[in-house]
Amino acid sequence: MMARFLPILAVAAALVLPLATSNTYFHHLLVLWMLYSLLALSLNIIVGYIGELSFGHAAFFGIGAYTAAILGMNFGFPGFPGLLMAGIVAGAFGFVIGYVALRIEGPQFVILTLGFGSIIFTTTNYWVDLTRGPMGISNIAPLGVGAGFELSSALDYYYLSLLLVVAFAYACHALMLSRTGRAFIAVRENAQLAASLGVDVFRTKLLAFVVATAVAGVAGAIFAHYLTVITPEVMSLNYMVAILIMVIVGGRGTIAGPILGALIYVGLLELLRATGALRMVIFAALLTVSVIFLPGGLVSLWRRFADRSTVRTARQAQVEAGE
Amino acid sequence: MEMELVLLTQQIMNGLVNGMTYVLIATGLTLVFGVLHIINFAHGEFYMLGAFFTFFAAKLLGLDYISAGIVATLGVAVLGILANRFFFWPLRKEHEFTVLLSSLGLALLLTNGGELIFGADPKYVASPFADGIVPLGPVIVTQQRMLIFAVGALVLVLLYLFIQKTRMGKMMRATAQNPEGAALTGVDIRRVYTVTFMVACGLAALAGALVGPTAMIFPTVGTWAVLKGFIVVVLGGLGSIPGALIGGLILGVVEALAGGYISMGFAQAIGFSIIIVVLLWRPNGLFGAARRA
Amino acid sequence: MTILSVNTLTKKFGGLTAVSDVDFEVQPGEILGIIGPNGAGKTTLFNMLAGSMQPTSGTVHLKGQNITGMRADRIARLGVARTFQITSLFPALSAHDNVRAATYRTKKTGWMASIFRTATYRAEEADVDRDAMAALHFCDLAGHADDNAESLSYGDQRRLEIAIALAAKPALLLLDEPAAGMNPEEGQRLVNMIRKIRDNGTSVLLVEHHMRVVMGVCDRVVVLDHGEKIAEGTPAAVVDNPDVIRVYLGREAVSA
Ligand SMILES: Nc1ncnc2c1ncn2[C@@H]1O[C@H](COP(=O)(O)OP(=O)(O)OP(=O)(O)O)[C@@H](O)[C@H]1O
Ligand SMILES: [Mg+2]
Repeated sequence: MMARFLPILAVAAALVLPLATSNTYFHHLLVLWMLYSLLALSLNIIVGYIGELSFGHAAFFGIGAYTAAILGMNFGFPGFPGLLMAGIVAGAFGFVIGYVALRIEGPQFVILTLGFGSIIFTTTNYWVDLTRGPMGISNIAPLGVGAGFELSSALDYYYLSLLLVVAFAYACHALMLSRTGRAFIAVRENAQLAASLGVDVFRTKLLAFVVATAVAGVAGAIFAHYLTVITPEVMSLNYMVAILIMVIVGGRGTIAGPILGALIYVGLLELLRATGALRMVIFAALLTVSVIFLPGGLVSLWRRFADRSTVRTARQAQVEAGE
Repeated sequence: MEMELVLLTQQIMNGLVNGMTYVLIATGLTLVFGVLHIINFAHGEFYMLGAFFTFFAAKLLGLDYISAGIVATLGVAVLGILANRFFFWPLRKEHEFTVLLSSLGLALLLTNGGELIFGADPKYVASPFADGIVPLGPVIVTQQRMLIFAVGALVLVLLYLFIQKTRMGKMMRATAQNPEGAALTGVDIRRVYTVTFMVACGLAALAGALVGPTAMIFPTVGTWAVLKGFIVVVLGGLGSIPGALIGGLILGVVEALAGGYISMGFAQAIGFSIIIVVLLWRPNGLFGAARRA
Repeated sequence: MTILSVNTLTKKFGGLTAVSDVDFEVQPGEILGIIGPNGAGKTTLFNMLAGSMQPTSGTVHLKGQNITGMRADRIARLGVARTFQITSLFPALSAHDNVRAATYRTKKTGWMASIFRTATYRAEEADVDRDAMAALHFCDLAGHADDNAESLSYGDQRRLEIAIALAAKPALLLLDEPAAGMNPEEGQRLVNMIRKIRDNGTSVLLVEHHMRVVMGVCDRVVVLDHGEKIAEGTPAAVVDNPDVIRVYLGREAVSA
């Protein structure tokens, strides 16, 4: 029963959360949380559902951000169609890179995606004519429809990204209850057996990769419009690692996990701000401790708790397995 | 000799020496992967620590460069034992993602801890060989670079003998092939873990001690090192030591040529471009065996 | 129409010929046994039929269609299901989810349909659940539907593998030593199960070491030794074949 209403309660809470304060910095953090949630949910498709570890995901976030920025700057492309284009361009890159990289699996795949990410990062840094290099692109127009309506405040961006997070989370939930989703999980659990049941392993992985990268691109585009400035920094190794941390510390292969992971990431770095230079050290220590003691991520705590406090019926087990 | 040709020879020479650095970094990385099937993202940090320990051993203990380097190598080898004890051994039964992330956490811890303790400003390891020049025909090489090359070659030979001839080496090879089987036949897996990390971290530190005098050192240099290490290891084949040797030298030379003739900025990207091409052609690298099913 | 027809099928690993010029056919509703000593090439033959290995030469036809060298998933989609000699499941999933995943081949709706919860989607998901439960029932595993596959006993795991293969509703089922490691009682249950599979209209190709199982269930038997087919016929005829006794049954009789 709980499992049914929890998502609705969570959405309701997320809707009223920003009303708690008019502090714009708090609103800013909420926007980051939602955008990172979207990004982490998209990486979760690769890491959690098809079970490959991609270190290139920040590059697609960056590609989306730069697509939106460049289209706006050079062609006066309006915001919302720009989001769509960002998704398409990032997804197209995802298709090409996935087509090459997904032939390889395991550790080699990890390093190959790291390589692709690194090449995209370097290119962005040095192709000054297109990207303006390390200085980045600034004065990106806010998202809008025509001239009349523009997203101007952090709150606007929060609700937009919340909408996308809810929609994508629902899509992931539906995925896990579909034939396609069963194929994803089958590929993750035992690729050889999946193939013997008719699943085209490569195509399944490629589908997952393209969807994940396209969504990352959309998140990047909103990020660019929101901050109005974008630099190659968003594709750096730090970001690659950060997204991965959100997914795994939160709980890979679940929907709540990456969202929780993004919250922890944004919240913890903020809480630790007061500790100054020690901040990153404490952060790294907490990360490591949580990985070592909670390999299933934070959401596994909930599952442990639920297991102990209720006698699970067969139906519940099925519902949980589906999610 | 013609000017062009001298330049080319000089660049190849520089490339080989840089390549030897990569070989030293990559050997430990490939050892840990080959024996324990762990991708250690913190490997570069031990390289960084090797360089900094050499710097501080010389400065604070007043040791000469060689003694400082040895102290640093041994010190980091001990840290390797601790790292294994707290970050890798407890996770030996966990999913590979968990282990990888644990190593990533360790890397972040060491980089940021290093920044806090050592300071973010670059340092310079002094070495009596840094400015001495060895003329080799028309090209020149510094004594320090000759030292890197010689020690690198020596270390590889010693490592080869260690793995092939000693009892510990045999246990490591048995573990590499089949950890459960090895444990059943009486191999002390815990000791294999300890020794593998000790040797791998010691090798990384040695590389740091040797390369320290040829460039500035700073706490974030470990990221650079581990990326180079990954490229080499994947190029040569994960887990293969001859692969690390050939891969490292190839990477060094290609980068030197590319840096000389194209642009320094793209050097990192070039390394990755090579492995993408190589992996498409040979998914397990130049010397890699097929992945265990 | 002949379900499966194998012609001069050969597989070489470097200098070793694991399967050499093997021919045979499987008729509709038939249970064909493949026996032979360890290393005879049975699993290699299976791998070629199921597309997980490329033949060196020769052809395989499924219901008249040439499937030689096709990828495993394409052959599976044409109606061939298999089990593996070494237990192969989705270990972290429940038995029910293992079998649900196996209904992939016979269903069509995708992600979009599930997002919009279309009528076709809902009807098909109900089918998936029903097919999955039916396959579990068939293999006596209904009571374990919610248990994780890895927590099942060995015998249950082997039957779950068959349930997975059956949930794909194959026209031809390849079983690689399904009785390995089973006790006689479990073996007998398996024999009954294989018969029932055939009676439901699926042809079966069975690799097996347990003579009791082979004798009890196969209509015909092909005997392999060192990759070559040395005999073919009814179980009774094959047992009396002197070549077979020499290479296989003699040894087996000693060890059994
Ligand atoms: N991938 C491979 N590479 C090289 N040789 C192989 C490979 N697979 C099988 N072989 C060899 O081919 C021969 C036939 O092996 P296969 O597994 O097909 O025998 P089998 O009849 O299934 O034996 P068993 O009864 O032990 O299962 C053996 O000599 C085996 O060593
Ligand atoms: Mg076999």
